[in-house]
Amino acid sequence: MEETISQETTVAEQITENAAEVVENDEPKVEEKPQRRRRSASLEKKRAMAGYVFVLPFILGVLLVYLPILIDSIWWSFFIRSYVPVDGVMTEVYTPNYFNFYINAFVESPSFVTTLLSSIQQLLFEVPAIIIFALFIAVVLNQKMLGRAAFRAIFFVPVIIATGLMDSINGADIATGQTQAGIDDGTGASAGAGIINMLDVQYIFQSMAIGGELVTYVVGLVNNIYNIINYSGVQMLIFLAGLQSISPSIYEACRIDGATGWETFWKVTFPMISPMILVNAIYTVIDSFTRSSNPMMVFINGQTTVDPHYAIAMYWIYFVVVLLIIGVVAAIASTMVFYQRKD
Amino acid sequence: MASMNEESTPVVRRETKNSISVDFEGKLTFKERLIQKLKEANTWITAGVNVLKFILMLGVSFVILYPFLARIANSFMTQADVLDATVSLVPKNPTLEIYQAIIFENNYFEGFINTLLLSLMCAVIQMMVSCLVGYGLAKFKFKGNSIVMIAVIVTMVIPHSALQTSIMKHFASFDLATVLSWQYPGIIELVTGDALDLTFTFWPLFILSIGGLAFKNGLYIYLMRQFFKGVPDELEESAYVDGSGVFRTFFQIILPLAVPMMITIFLFSFSWQWTDEFYHSLFFYTDDPQFKVILMPDMYTQMPPSLIPPNGYGAKTLYYNIVQNTAGMLIIAPLIIMYLFCQRYLVEGIERSGIVG
Repeated sequence: MEETISQETTVAEQITENAAEVVENDEPKVEEKPQRRRRSASLEKKRAMAGYVFVLPFILGVLLVYLPILIDSIWWSFFIRSYVPVDGVMTEVYTPNYFNFYINAFVESPSFVTTLLSSIQQLLFEVPAIIIFALFIAVVLNQKMLGRAAFRAIFFVPVIIATGLMDSINGADIATGQTQAGIDDGTGASAGAGIINMLDVQYIFQSMAIGGELVTYVVGLVNNIYNIINYSGVQMLIFLAGLQSISPSIYEACRIDGATGWETFWKVTFPMISPMILVNAIYTVIDSFTRSSNPMMVFINGQTTVDPHYAIAMYWIYFVVVLLIIGVVAAIASTMVFYQRKD
Repeated sequence: MASMNEESTPVVRRETKNSISVDFEGKLTFKERLIQKLKEANTWITAGVNVLKFILMLGVSFVILYPFLARIANSFMTQADVLDATVSLVPKNPTLEIYQAIIFENNYFEGFINTLLLSLMCAVIQMMVSCLVGYGLAKFKFKGNSIVMIAVIVTMVIPHSALQTSIMKHFASFDLATVLSWQYPGIIELVTGDALDLTFTFWPLFILSIGGLAFKNGLYIYLMRQFFKGVPDELEESAYVDGSGVFRTFFQIILPLAVPMMITIFLFSFSWQWTDEFYHSLFFYTDDPQFKVILMPDMYTQMPPSLIPPNGYGAKTLYYNIVQNTAGMLIIAPLIIMYLFCQRYLVEGIERSGIVG
C-alpha cells in the first residue's frame, strides 16, 4: 500500500513539475499543442474506423452487388431492343437510343404525367391518415386491456398481407366477389355500403359547418377505412416497438410530478416516439408509391409488356420524383423530431 | 344508518351473535364524501373508456378478419356446396378434403421445413446486419455517412420488381462487381474462370441479406438508425470511461436496449420471407423435379390433383380460388402462432433500459 501511494505521489509530483515547466518556458508550450491535436484527431479517426466497420456489410453489398444491378438496369434504358434475322435465326439486337425514352415519357406518353399527379394526390391524402391511425392503435395496444394479446395478433395480419403472395390471393378473392358482402374490401365499388352510409357522414359534418375540404377528407377516410387499416400494419408495429423502448421510469417520474395522461402523452410519449414518426412518414410515402396497386406502378407495369426498356426509363423518372418527394417529407418531418442527446 | 350529528363515535351494531358491523360513515365530512363520489365517478369514466376502447378494437379487428372468416368458412366446403346457391358461409357437408389434399399432395411439410430454414436464416442475418449498419450510421461521424444514408433510402425506394430482369441475370451468373456483366468479367470470373449459377439455391437471398439489400431491408436499417439515435450518448460514454471497447459496448450495453426493435425486424423479415412470392418466381421457378425446391408459394400455385373438378363443373374458377385461399390460410397459420410467442418479448423486452438519475 505504502509503495503504491508513494508511486502515485511521485507521478503527481512529476506532472506538477511538468506543468510548472510548461508554465515557465514558452518553447514546450508550443510543442505540447500539436501533440494534443494529434491525439484527439487519432481518437476521432478510431471512431470513424469503427463506424466504417459497422457499415461495412452494407457498403460492400452496395458496391459489389447492388450497384452493378442498378447500372445494368439504367444501361438498358438507353437502348432499343429489336429482333433481326441473322442467318435465319431471330436474334436480339440492341441499338442505342440515348435519352429518347426519357423524353418520350413526358412528350408522347398519353397519361404519364397525369397518372403521376394523381398518385401524388393519393399520397397526400393517405400519409397523415395512416400515421395518425397507426399511432393511435399502437398507443391503445400498448396499454393494459382485455384481450390485448389477441388484438395484437389480429393487427399483425395486415403485415403478412403486405407481401405479394397474399396480395394475389386477395386479388383472386375480389375478382370473384367472395368477400364483398357487407363490407368495403378496398375496391371502392362497395364502399361503405354496409357499414356507414356516406351521405349520413356528409350530413353530420356539413351541419357542423367546418369547411368543404375537411368534409371530403373525412368522407374519403371513412370510404377508405379498409385500405387504411390494412396499410398501417407495419407502421403500427414500428410504433409499438418504439413505445416499448420508452423507459417506464420516465412515466413513473411523470406520475409522481402529477402529470395527467394527456400531458404525459404530449410531453413524453410524443417526443420519444418522434424518430419513429419520421421513419413511418418516409416508409409510408415509399410504400404508397411503390405498392403494386399504385396507379403509377400499374401504368408502368402495363408498359413492360409493350417495351421493357421504355418501362425501365419510366421507372427511373418515377424514382427520381419519389426521391424528391421523400426529401421534402423528411425535411418537414425532421423539424419535429426529438433525439435524447446532449447537444 | 349513522346520523350526521354523532360525529365523535362510529356506530357499532351487533348483527349476529358473533359479529358486529362498524359504520364509520358518520365521521366523513361533506367534502370528503364529495371527493369519494368523484373518485367513484372517475373509475366509472375509466371503465367506460375501456369499454369504448374494447369495442373500437373489436370493430377494427372485424374489418381485418372478415375476409378471413369468409375464407375459413369456404375452406370446409365440398364441390357440391360451392355450386349450391343456398349455401353461404356455413357449408352443408363440412369436409377437410381441401386441407388434406394440400398437405399431402403438395408436400406441405417439406415446404414447411425448407421455408423455415430459409426464412429463419434470412431473418437472423437481416436483423443482425440492420443493427450493425443502423448503429454505425447513428453514432459515428465518418466521411460519407450521409451518402450511405442516402443509399439506404435509395434501396428502399426502388422496388426489386422494377429491377427483376437485372437481378435475375446477375444471380444466374453471379459475380462480384460486374458492371455490364455480359461484356466484362468480375472478380470471381477472374479468379476461378467462371461465374457461379446460384439459381435453385438459397444463396441469392443470403447474399442480399448479408449486404442489407433484401426485401425492405432499407426500412430495417433506417428504423435501427432512428432508434439508436434516440439512445442517449451518456450510456456509451460511461461504458468507454469504464474501459469498454466500441464493439463490447455495442453488444453488451446498446443491443439489449434494442430488443423490441430487433424482434419487430425479425417478425417483418421472417414473415415477408415466409410469404414471399417474388423471389420464389425469380430464383426457384422450375418444373424440373431435379432442381425443384418446394417452398410455401408452391402450396398455392399448384392445384392438388385430387381436387381438380370434373369436366362440366359449373364454378371452376370459384372453386380454384377457394383452394388457393385455403392454401393461403395454411401458409399464414404458422406465422400467427409465431407472432403469439414473439409478442410476449415485445412486452417484456425492455424493463431494464434507460438512464437512472
